[in-house]
Amino acid sequence: MARYLGAVVCFAALAVPALGAAQVAQNATVRRAQQAYDNLEYRQVLTLARAALRERLTGAERARAYELLGFTYGAMDSILKAVDAFKQVVLIDPERQLDPNRVSPKAYSAFDVALRQVLLVRQLRVDSVSFVGGQGAVPVRFTVTQPARVVARAIGTGGTVVIDSGAWNGQVNLRWPARLAGGDPVPAGTYTVVVDARLGQNTFSASQPIRVSHGRVDTVPSVTSLPGYQFLPETEIPPQSWRPVGLAFLYTGGALVGTLGLESPTLGSSSKRELGLVGGAALVTGFVMMLRKPAPRPAEANILYNRLLRDQIARRNQDIAKENVARRQQVQVTVAPVPK
Amino acid sequence: MTRSALGALLLALAPRPASGQQVTVGPQVVLSDYREVAAGLRYRGTGLGGSLWARRDRLSAEAAVVRVSLDPADGSAATASFTTTQVDVWVAYDVAAYASVEVGVLHRSADPEFDAQSVGAVRVGARSFYEIGPGATVVFRANYLAAPKFSGGGRAAVSLDLGLGLDVRLAGRLHGTATYAFNRMNRKTNPGGTGEIDAPIQETLARVGLAVQF
Repeated sequence: MARYLGAVVCFAALAVPALGAAQVAQNATVRRAQQAYDNLEYRQVLTLARAALRERLTGAERARAYELLGFTYGAMDSILKAVDAFKQVVLIDPERQLDPNRVSPKAYSAFDVALRQVLLVRQLRVDSVSFVGGQGAVPVRFTVTQPARVVARAIGTGGTVVIDSGAWNGQVNLRWPARLAGGDPVPAGTYTVVVDARLGQNTFSASQPIRVSHGRVDTVPSVTSLPGYQFLPETEIPPQSWRPVGLAFLYTGGALVGTLGLESPTLGSSSKRELGLVGGAALVTGFVMMLRKPAPRPAEANILYNRLLRDQIARRNQDIAKENVARRQQVQVTVAPVPK
Repeated sequence: MTRSALGALLLALAPRPASGQQVTVGPQVVLSDYREVAAGLRYRGTGLGGSLWARRDRLSAEAAVVRVSLDPADGSAATASFTTTQVDVWVAYDVAAYASVEVGVLHRSADPEFDAQSVGAVRVGARSFYEIGPGATVVFRANYLAAPKFSGGGRAAVSLDLGLGLDVRLAGRLHGTATYAFNRMNRKTNPGGTGEIDAPIQETLARVGLAVQF
């Protein structure tokens, strides 16, 4: 009974590749190789699969042909050949994954060895996430099949941002805060997360498009005035006074007194016609200026008050600007992968 | 002072206006009273002239040229008329908001040459100015006339010049100007070596005119 069950399990395991193959194989030779494999005619599988690889095939058909060779070599205990065939499979389709519960252990181990012998970045995943800027991060996961120097970048509308870099092997889990160097969140838009792996001359890249969107930010507007404080006029019109005519009288009187004092007694009193003309003009001008509306003059106290008020407003606007920067940095950031 | 030197000086004092710079220039009508040696030798007359004034920051310069025909006044012992040409130049530096110090020259020549004394002197003094209203400024100046030279010889240890000025902006760039000047020179001569005698000179001058600001 136990032997019977084992045979059933073994048959089921060998039959699994046939299930997936029916969906991808359009080439007749590949289909015949698949049928031969389903019928456990391994020699026939090898002949047909090799013949198919010499034909014009799609990538999926070529990967399928190599996979049939790998399974067949595994069943025939030709492990090295099985590994070589699986290496071709993963080079064509790096995301190819075998279910250890549904394939034979020999084939699975050969596939696993093949994975370790080529440099691949597989299973790059960027999870959908939403968080407040500066308080969360975007999970980025991928697998590197060999120890390699790896650089993960996000390339998009906002430029290129390095997510992380290092010498990694196996499963890698990164957390990307989605922020620029200044602390601002990366601009909204479409980005491509690119993971480059380099080992000697071998390089491999994997990518995953993502969309970054921002929530709404309520910023505080700048102020042009402070409540309860108003700018005062910086000029004032002085009250009318006797000053203009007084000064004209003073200057004219000075000239008259000086003239009288300096007159030579030998020459007698000089003519006052000239002084009368000019002094009279000065007095009339002073009288007119006294009656006229005085010219505005700077109001020093108001100028000082306005300067202090402007300083206060500028200081308040600086605080608002800082607050707005913080608000913009704390925007709700949503990251979602985009199907390729 | 030669005429060519005077022209060069006036050109130097009339630079192109620039920001912070102000220039006015205009014609003037002149009234004058001139007395010499004794009370009986007095003249009165009228004439024409022109003035130029420039300011740049705290430095200002002023030049005035007048030509006056003087006739013997009523009751004068003089019998002949003559004409004088007088040049006044001032360069001033503001030392306060309402005051400046100034230096300059005075030169007055008579035609015919020996009908009156021609004189040249250096002036040093100060002036006070005040804006008594929008566009209206009054000026008072006092100058000491140093080292005067007379065509008829002699010396004057004490020579003074007083002035009163008014500048009113009439409209736009047009200014009205009025200037009064009084100068007295205590000239002493020693004719024939017989001892010094007084030969004072006294002049009053009023210049009224218009000026255009550039």
